[in-house]
Amino acid sequence: MPSRFRSDPLISHRRALSAGASLAVGYSGPLDPSLGAEPARQQPQHPPANGGTDPFPIPWLDKNGSHNQPAGPNMEPSHVFHFKGKVGRCAGFVGMGTDGQGNRVPFGLRTTDYGFMDGEYWAGRTAHRAVLTHI
Amino acid sequence: MAPKNQFHDFHPPIAQNGLYWVVPVPEGGLRYTDDGRTVTLEMKDVPVVDQPRWPALDATTTPATMNFKLVFKATEKPVAYEDPFKHFRVTGFLATAQLEAQVAVPEIGFTWKSDPLETSKSDFAVLGDHVNGKYYDAEHPASKPAAK
Repeated sequence: MPSRFRSDPLISHRRALSAGASLAVGYSGPLDPSLGAEPARQQPQHPPANGGTDPFPIPWLDKNGSHNQPAGPNMEPSHVFHFKGKVGRCAGFVGMGTDGQGNRVPFGLRTTDYGFMDGEYWAGRTAHRAVLTHI
Repeated sequence: MAPKNQFHDFHPPIAQNGLYWVVPVPEGGLRYTDDGRTVTLEMKDVPVVDQPRWPALDATTTPATMNFKLVFKATEKPVAYEDPFKHFRVTGFLATAQLEAQVAVPEIGFTWKSDPLETSKSDFAVLGDHVNGKYYDAEHPASKPAAK
């Protein structure tokens, strides 16, 4: 019964490898840089691929599937990840105002929140100084 | 679903990378008193959108501008919030926060101006020193995942 696996191609491949190896070591004399040597190639210089320098959002998602951070006790007060500095965070505003027609219109909900981040953030593999606000 | 009594909702657009309603503060827009216990954030002509039906996913927007002044004042109540699983820590003081603002939506001819700052109040505010992400991990090597 003929074998399902033919051995000839393997033998041929081995021969090819042997031939290649012979070529690789074909010149065994003393090395003379001036004889047939190619000039060293300059390595192309490309800028680093470090990613963007925009502030990175906090990874965790809120109930709406967004990178938003509700304000409150024990909550993350920054909207920027990889950050250190001063922060202020607040929510739950209540106030009044007047529209252009003279109507009294209140403002503020439990989720009406503001914040600032004053410090250093890390993005694009480097540190950046910034003052940012979440409004 | 937007609250039934919400007719306007002003905020900056969400950034392409998901950063949520964050914009840079111009030079001089954030001011501290000498003792650092009162902080004033004041900005004018901030490009925002009016998105009355937010957080509906198909809530349309109208370009708007906003002026505002926000004043934090630290109280004497210290706070320290830390979550190693979320890689953050803040230490500081509970605070009060008051806001006055003015908005304009030129396309629909809407303007609105709040009453003076002193008439507003907030339920929660905090001022502090904060660290998160890689900066938190640098202080807490045990919380840092193994490098690839």
